[in-house]
Amino acid sequence: MGGLEKKKYQRGSATNYITRNKARKKLQLSLPDFRRLCILKGIYPHEPRHKKKVNKGSTAARTFYLLKDIKFLLHEPIVNKFREYKIFVRKLRKAYGKSEWGTAERLKDNKPTYKLDHIVKERYPTFVDALRDLDDALSMCFLFSTFPRTGKCHVQTIQLCRRLAVEFLNYVIASRSLRKVFLSIKGIYYQAEVLGQPITWITPYAFAHDHPTDVDYRVMATFTEFYTTLLGFVNFRLYHSLNLHYPPKIDGQAEVEVKPAEGKEYAMDSESYLEKHKKLFEGLRFFLNREVPREPLAFVIRCFGGQVSWDKSLCIGATYDVSDPSITHQIVDRPRVEQQVVGRYYLQPQWVFDSVNAKLCLPVADYFPGVLLPPHLSPFVTEQEGDYIPPEKLKLLAMQRGEDPGEETEEEEEEEEEEEEDDNDKDEEEEEEDESEKEEEIKLKKMEEQKAQSNKALPVKVTAGKVRLEDKQRLEQEQQSEEKRLAIMMMKKREKYLYKKIMFGKKRKIREANKLAAKRKAHDTALKEEKKKTKKARRA
Amino acid sequence: MAAVAESLSFLGLTPSARDPATAVRRRNRGPRNRKKGWKRWAGPEARLGREIGDFLEDVTLQQRVAGGLIAEQPDAGLFFVDTGNAEKGRKRKNKIREKPLHIDLVLQPDSKVPPPKDILSHQIPNGKKERRRRQFWERLAQRGVLPRAERRLQTRLQNAAAPPRGPPREKAPEKGRVDPGRSFYDIWADDNPLERALVGQDSWFLQQTQKQRVKRPPRLQQKPSQLPAVEVIAPGGSYNPTFEDHQALLLKAHEVEVMKKRAEDKVERQLRFPTAAEAPTAETVFREQCEGLLEESEGEEEEEEEQKEEAVGGAQPSDPPRPPLRPGKKTEQQRRKEKEARAQELRRRQEKAWRCRQQQLFRLRSLGRQLRRWEQELLRRRRAREAKRREMEGRPRRLGRIKYEDPALEVQLSDELAESLRTLKPEGSVLHDRFKSLQKRSLIEPRERAKFKRKYRLKYVEKRAFREVTL
Repeated sequence: MGGLEKKKYQRGSATNYITRNKARKKLQLSLPDFRRLCILKGIYPHEPRHKKKVNKGSTAARTFYLLKDIKFLLHEPIVNKFREYKIFVRKLRKAYGKSEWGTAERLKDNKPTYKLDHIVKERYPTFVDALRDLDDALSMCFLFSTFPRTGKCHVQTIQLCRRLAVEFLNYVIASRSLRKVFLSIKGIYYQAEVLGQPITWITPYAFAHDHPTDVDYRVMATFTEFYTTLLGFVNFRLYHSLNLHYPPKIDGQAEVEVKPAEGKEYAMDSESYLEKHKKLFEGLRFFLNREVPREPLAFVIRCFGGQVSWDKSLCIGATYDVSDPSITHQIVDRPRVEQQVVGRYYLQPQWVFDSVNAKLCLPVADYFPGVLLPPHLSPFVTEQEGDYIPPEKLKLLAMQRGEDPGEETEEEEEEEEEEEEDDNDKDEEEEEEDESEKEEEIKLKKMEEQKAQSNKALPVKVTAGKVRLEDKQRLEQEQQSEEKRLAIMMMKKREKYLYKKIMFGKKRKIREANKLAAKRKAHDTALKEEKKKTKKARRA
Repeated sequence: MAAVAESLSFLGLTPSARDPATAVRRRNRGPRNRKKGWKRWAGPEARLGREIGDFLEDVTLQQRVAGGLIAEQPDAGLFFVDTGNAEKGRKRKNKIREKPLHIDLVLQPDSKVPPPKDILSHQIPNGKKERRRRQFWERLAQRGVLPRAERRLQTRLQNAAAPPRGPPREKAPEKGRVDPGRSFYDIWADDNPLERALVGQDSWFLQQTQKQRVKRPPRLQQKPSQLPAVEVIAPGGSYNPTFEDHQALLLKAHEVEVMKKRAEDKVERQLRFPTAAEAPTAETVFREQCEGLLEESEGEEEEEEEQKEEAVGGAQPSDPPRPPLRPGKKTEQQRRKEKEARAQELRRRQEKAWRCRQQQLFRLRSLGRQLRRWEQELLRRRRAREAKRREMEGRPRRLGRIKYEDPALEVQLSDELAESLRTLKPEGSVLHDRFKSLQKRSLIEPRERAKFKRKYRLKYVEKRAFREVTL
């Protein structure tokens, strides 16, 4: 062989990657500092495709970074700040150890700090990029703002998070961009639409506090540090897009409405449906009782134009008292309310959230105190055809379309005969959802029978014609189903086989949906029987 | 002359003497305190030194005893006439005798040398100079000019008279990124404070002087995973869910539990030791070993017979008559024959190849079909690989020793469901959920809490006294 021998692991993917410890040594940082730097700069470890090549023959699980990424990190000015901080800590510890208090004070006055503005600009060169990453940032900020102010994480961070969270909520109120709310067992999910981007975030409940031990607080604090900077800049920009002054003056912890300096109050959307949605609670005055969660409710109500107040002793910012006669809705969560003022609706808090999700003010009868609430459906679920749609959702859709299912529900519950009819209705619905082929077959059979019968004997009579109203929709449907049948007939054998397979799968889904419906029916009948029993017991 | 010469040599002023400034080290011949070193004391210099020392000691002794050189003392100081008043002085001595105590005598100074007098008791060093300075400052003070220390003290007192502002800090500590009251600006505008300093300057200059930051590579704009940052919980996780959704979520949780139980059962099954009834006996072991042997024994016999036939058949090759030669050496004929055979073989192969190539023309269609099938196979493999890669991208990457584990599903049992928002008990922790979400999207590597590992095994020892105690 002529020429130099090629040695293994000296070119190619083996030289593109570097292990975490080697990277740390190259940067001359300690491991926590290295992690912090990677999180702040947005450098993530990579999993190489051929681990054996990169790991020089061994398959030990190691963390790899791209060498080019680490070389990029070498240019970062924050690295020097980390080293200065390390030296500062060492000097401070010495001064404390030697009881040199003057030196310690002087060192603390000159503590090295750094700012992350240039990193934010580098990672998000445009505003839209920043908006895309806002989900994570908001969730973290809201999470940290609910932490207790013990010394576990810096109190300043918690204060900053609280301030930024309140500012963002103010923006959402002013721009009326909230679209969906979902109360789950983990926390409250919100979705808002900011400049065309849907942003989803989660807020924990105010009274839930378990500090899990398997979470690395330093990592989360580093993320929060970066996200607070990002959120601050985004807030500034959002406020300026609405011509509002930033930073807004917020007294204490209340969410005060910010008056716009000039111009429009919220971004105009051309759709009128959206406009109606934004003005959902316009003109209504709410009062929140002590036992309901004040902040989420106040936020949601204000987002849709309503006015809200609470008891003065709870928090600053209460505008009117419980005895105000102009209150239209009072939100209570107790089993019974003693003194009920006439002209006011007493509702459970779920009404507000369900109305927001349904985009219209739901009938209040279902939400009176002490009444068994309808289930709180998730607005984040998109149903496809063939999936099971619970009857509550069907009712909701019907209401949205404009039909009034109120009367139907009353009849169902009172008379027993109607129950059978309902069963029939449901069956018919199911049949309609089924294949049109079955229907066609049944119809054909019927027609044949009729023809046979007519052929037998009977004198033919001519009767006056009846005006048959043409149902256009029905006609269209029939035409479509005919075309479909024709297409099926014209398919090749192979394609037909595939088609049958697909339809089999779909039918299976529908069968499962039917099963769930049957279960639900059984559950409902059980409930009704119980009710009847109690009624009978009461009568007797 | 001899004395001068001696003194000159003693003082080192002879021409042969060394310059005392030059340091010369003589060779060390063994340790210094040897007998050879006694020669030192024999020389004239040493003798002279001893004599001087003795003389000086003598002089000091004389001074101590007599207060000066004895030769210079008057006779009265050295001698006295003994008159002898023994009887007369006895009575007086008995009455008046007050001999001072021995200890007092011992404590008296017994040297005739007087102690040096303390001049500082009546003299002030630099006395005149200090006096003149004092007079100078008094004159200035009359005029109104005070020294600097006095002036500073007076200003301090005046300032102290004013209301104090608290502990005066020369410099307030600089708060960085976590200052709750920090201000923000529009970072995406064209003229933001970050870039204002760099406006209008040459980019090459800025690069070289490291004033401009290095450009971020576009590869880093992509995120490692396309999963959404906040995944909404299934509809069964609502605080007041519908019956079906709740059942569906319970079913999922149930499946997870079933998998866990199956894994546990598997491990237990593998570790189970057979009971006495199931334990293998000698008979079962023998039967197990004989399994399958009885049926195959016929087949084996047949094979043996076949092999024997072949062996018989193959043992009759006919050797061509060879001329007696050295074994291993071939004759010319053989070589020629082999060469011809090789040439023929080669020709045959070439012809065959040429014929095949000719005939391939007629096999075009089938060849085409083969190629198409191979290409389809390659395409299928490529699609499979791409599908697998896309599927792997969706999963969290393996970054390090610990594998990613999905968090436990948050679900409340049917009897734990809250009736109202007031009685709701939240399940799960958003902090934990965020942490796991960061790991799932491969932004950080999965981490677990560091365990405390002992380097050396703990040893427990009971003291003898404690061991003897019996309860």
